[in-house]
Amino acid sequence: MIAIIDYGLGNLTSVAGAIEKVGHEAVITSDLQVLADADKLILPGVGAFGDGMANLRERELVEPLTEMVVGKGKPILGICLGSQLITEESDEFGAHTGLGWVPARVRRLAPTDPALRVPHVGWNDLIRTGDSVLFEELPAQPLFYFVHSHYIEAREPGIVIGECDYGSRFVGAFQHGNIYGTQFHPEKSQLDGLRLLKNFIELT
Amino acid sequence: MLRKRLVTVLTFNNGVLFRTKLFRPDYRYTANFVDAWSIDEVVILDITRPEQGARENFEKVVQNFAKNCFVPLCVGGGVRTFADVQALMKLGAEKVILNTGAIEHPEFITEIANSYGSQCVVVSVDVRITPRGDYEVFSNFGETPTGMAPEAWAKQAEERGAGEILITSVERDGGLEGFDIKLCSLVAGAVTIPTLILGGAGSWKHFAQGFEDGGASAVCTQNIYHFTDASIKSAKKFLRKAGIDVRL
Repeated sequence: MIAIIDYGLGNLTSVAGAIEKVGHEAVITSDLQVLADADKLILPGVGAFGDGMANLRERELVEPLTEMVVGKGKPILGICLGSQLITEESDEFGAHTGLGWVPARVRRLAPTDPALRVPHVGWNDLIRTGDSVLFEELPAQPLFYFVHSHYIEAREPGIVIGECDYGSRFVGAFQHGNIYGTQFHPEKSQLDGLRLLKNFIELT
Repeated sequence: MLRKRLVTVLTFNNGVLFRTKLFRPDYRYTANFVDAWSIDEVVILDITRPEQGARENFEKVVQNFAKNCFVPLCVGGGVRTFADVQALMKLGAEKVILNTGAIEHPEFITEIANSYGSQCVVVSVDVRITPRGDYEVFSNFGETPTGMAPEAWAKQAEERGAGEILITSVERDGGLEGFDIKLCSLVAGAVTIPTLILGGAGSWKHFAQGFEDGGASAVCTQNIYHFTDASIKSAKKFLRKAGIDVRL
């Protein structure tokens, strides 16, 4: 069973629909027992960093989730804002502390070319820079759907498994032990996205 | 490289798919489902006039799309309150489209951006050409003049936190004679966020003009007859040949 963490933000229905599409069961929950019993967790997200952290705190999820993921090694996939919340900090609408599970931080996209608009919206290449089980059976340079104004910058390059180029290169996907994150939305990236989700769900 | 987007816009009247012309529902409707596997993004709009249908009927449509469509889903029509936004997001929308709600209360844009992020807020701007020959923004299904110039309103919407501008020419709606390129380029030049153009596309060449001459980040079409699997592919092949980078 895959638990999609419900913290009041994010396109939970879409993620659940995509998981069902690849033949697995998903539950949308903020119940600690259900989260603890799940095989894997997904932290989705659409929204602002500060609100995301505030909502996680309000629901008293920060410590229990940290114990499950960092303490017990339960696999988790962060998507878009979810992947950013896993990092240490963000400068979106002021300085905010993140969950701090991976050595990375979040900064605002500021391409110098005026033709490159922010938010970065649309289909862009994921340039694979590392091996990951997430990429099994995917093309060498898959296209994924991105929609964001902030990007992840890794402090340790070893965690980066894929980059995206939009004026400059930023983290498209990372893997740090049992902790995975994608800046793009696999649940909205058609066949390649569904495949990536399946890879995460079926990893052992 | 970020690809240029092809977006399909579907309008629903009381939960039933409609095509519109000059902003009025056309007589034709179809049960033909959009092929979500080839299009880059789907926009669905509730065009039900007040008191002529139940919002639940549209919500069912949103839920059905969210469940079955693995591309981004952008939803609008009748979004006036934060509770409306929350409801649509909960049903599975990625982005909401504001129009009259933002014109009447521009701070509404900021409220949504602060909590869901700017990328979540698309401000839709319906434009008519006045008898004097100027562009003017209209609200309420393109019927009420606002006195605002589209580029000024788009700029203000960006400053208030909008993530994208969807620009629609009311007069071109359903006409198949091409986008209002001048309008698109005026607005795209005034903002730094992506601009989407809608209204009037009748051929692949019009798509190319939207990107190249209009400066659009995405071209939208409501004419669903174009959107069979083969035709999306043929549109994209045409654009590739014209040197425009699209996802095939």
